[in-house]
Amino acid sequence: MSEATIRVEHLKKFFPVKGKLFGPKQYVQAVNDVSFSIQKGQTLGIVGESGCGKSTLGRTILKIYEPDSGKIFFEGTDITALNQAQMHPWRKKMQMIFQDPYASLNPRFTVGEMIEEPMKIYQMYDKKERAERVQQLLALVGLKPDHIRRYPYEFSGGQRQRIGIARTLALDPEFIVCDEPFSALDVSIQAQIINLLEKIQDERQLTYIVVAHDLNAVRHISHAIGVMYLGHLVEIGPAEKIYREPLHPYTKALISSIPVADPDTAGMMNRVILEGEVPSPIHVPSGCPFSTRCKYCTEQCREKMPVLKEVDDRKVACTLYE
Amino acid sequence: MLKPEEYFEPLNDSEKNDEYIPMESKSFAKDVWERFRHSKRAMVGLILLTIIVLFAVIGPFISPYPYDGMNTSIANNGPSLSHWFGTDQMGRDEFTRVLYGTRISLMIGFVATFVNVLIGVIYGGVAGYVGGKVDMILMRIMDVIYSIPAMIYIILIMLILGSNVYSVMIGICVNGWVNMARLVRGQIISLKEREFAIAAYVLGASRKRILFKHLLVNTLGPVIVTATLMVPQAIFNEAFLSFIGIGISAPQASLGTLAQDAKMRLAMYPMQMVYPVAVICLVIFSLNFIGEGLEDALNPKGRK
Repeated sequence: MSEATIRVEHLKKFFPVKGKLFGPKQYVQAVNDVSFSIQKGQTLGIVGESGCGKSTLGRTILKIYEPDSGKIFFEGTDITALNQAQMHPWRKKMQMIFQDPYASLNPRFTVGEMIEEPMKIYQMYDKKERAERVQQLLALVGLKPDHIRRYPYEFSGGQRQRIGIARTLALDPEFIVCDEPFSALDVSIQAQIINLLEKIQDERQLTYIVVAHDLNAVRHISHAIGVMYLGHLVEIGPAEKIYREPLHPYTKALISSIPVADPDTAGMMNRVILEGEVPSPIHVPSGCPFSTRCKYCTEQCREKMPVLKEVDDRKVACTLYE
Repeated sequence: MLKPEEYFEPLNDSEKNDEYIPMESKSFAKDVWERFRHSKRAMVGLILLTIIVLFAVIGPFISPYPYDGMNTSIANNGPSLSHWFGTDQMGRDEFTRVLYGTRISLMIGFVATFVNVLIGVIYGGVAGYVGGKVDMILMRIMDVIYSIPAMIYIILIMLILGSNVYSVMIGICVNGWVNMARLVRGQIISLKEREFAIAAYVLGASRKRILFKHLLVNTLGPVIVTATLMVPQAIFNEAFLSFIGIGISAPQASLGTLAQDAKMRLAMYPMQMVYPVAVICLVIFSLNFIGEGLEDALNPKGRK
């Protein structure tokens, strides 16, 4: 197998929380011991409920947050310990599409300035070529050439998301983290953005991590799916397999929650209803994080965190499959 | 009755763009000016200030009298055709002196504000953006500077540099920037967590670029408003210092020293007091009106 575009080993990111003055220091365990790899041209979808650490995972891989332990490899190079200056050549290849198209564009920049900026930072091309590139990128994402002199507030959410995508593509990246790229958009626009991302992936052999909680959108775009719960990766494998036949009890509950359009089939589906609340990420249960809500929970689950284990071409972290 | 497919009919091509209403794309400055223009008070302030500034700048050149030319034979005259505001106790033309004093006062106001904004924006920007220990240290230094009254700085500086325009200016600047720095720091702290700042970071921008090109431009609104209101404050401070006798020394004059001179003869020649005080009032009013107008123009409600 060739070198993976992105490989993550035992990645951890804890955020300190303000506790009592003399108490022990407490941490939000946002990403806890996550490992996976993605091959070139593939898309990994990360799903999980709010607060499970999926956005933090994406941001930590891009070194927006410094990882607390573990390693990140980009095309075989360890980038974990690099600072912003050392990251400079790598940043060009690793980019991000943001969740909120209203907050991710600087309100004082015109569209043209915004898309040109990354090329200016990397001193790519001369002035004239940059102007041409901006036009090409605008055309690629389906905006009009005369939009370059406009300000972000003059655009709709979907158009802004395209501006963000054009800006991201200005650097010709090889790997893009899409942090909930659809959640701020309505359904018809979501479809446009998904098609746009797929089209660009086909043309340029891009590698994506798509973080989202819209399970249907993720299924459509991803080759592989990773399921996160309380900072842990509980199941990862080929998208179709995970959707058809989830193994981990949490994945089962998650997949069964997808609404089915056909009322006849919907009645036949066995909806798995989870009881209780997600425990606080500050006080993660010992052993398996899901043990407090899992109906298959045994004594062993409460004591020892199960490790990700290969079960018919996917990986599951559950005592049931050990 | 109509069949469902007959409810609608396709538009022909010529009508397809009829709904498209192109809106002129306005730059930030143009947009603000459009809204500023519609505030009557702000426009009155702007016109008033322009007139005062024009008089102060070119007035002393076209006046037939020098600001320090004495002629004791016509001391303390009332207003006349040759001396519009009359003369003071040394026989100097009061109108020329008011113009000259306005010029000094405005210069102190604008220069002091410029320096305060420059220091305050950079200091506050760095403290807010870098954060952590650097922020803590910078803020404590600032607290120390701010805890000593401005008056003490000014008196000390006057002792060393003598009582002239420059020592007044430096004195006003020593701790005048503190409020600006606090304002900018607060703004930067909230802006740096916004996604566009993170986006710039991911796009490989250096910290310097993020701070100056992405964050500080977004604090422009409140900074301009505060700066506009800092000018009258500096003018007022200078006038106050001169009035209590530790400002600019004769024969130079500011609006404050003119008022101070007139104070002694207030019972006999009250008009000598009225002119400089009226000008101070007009300048401060007009700048406050402009500041308010700008504030409204920069923070329109119901718009992103």
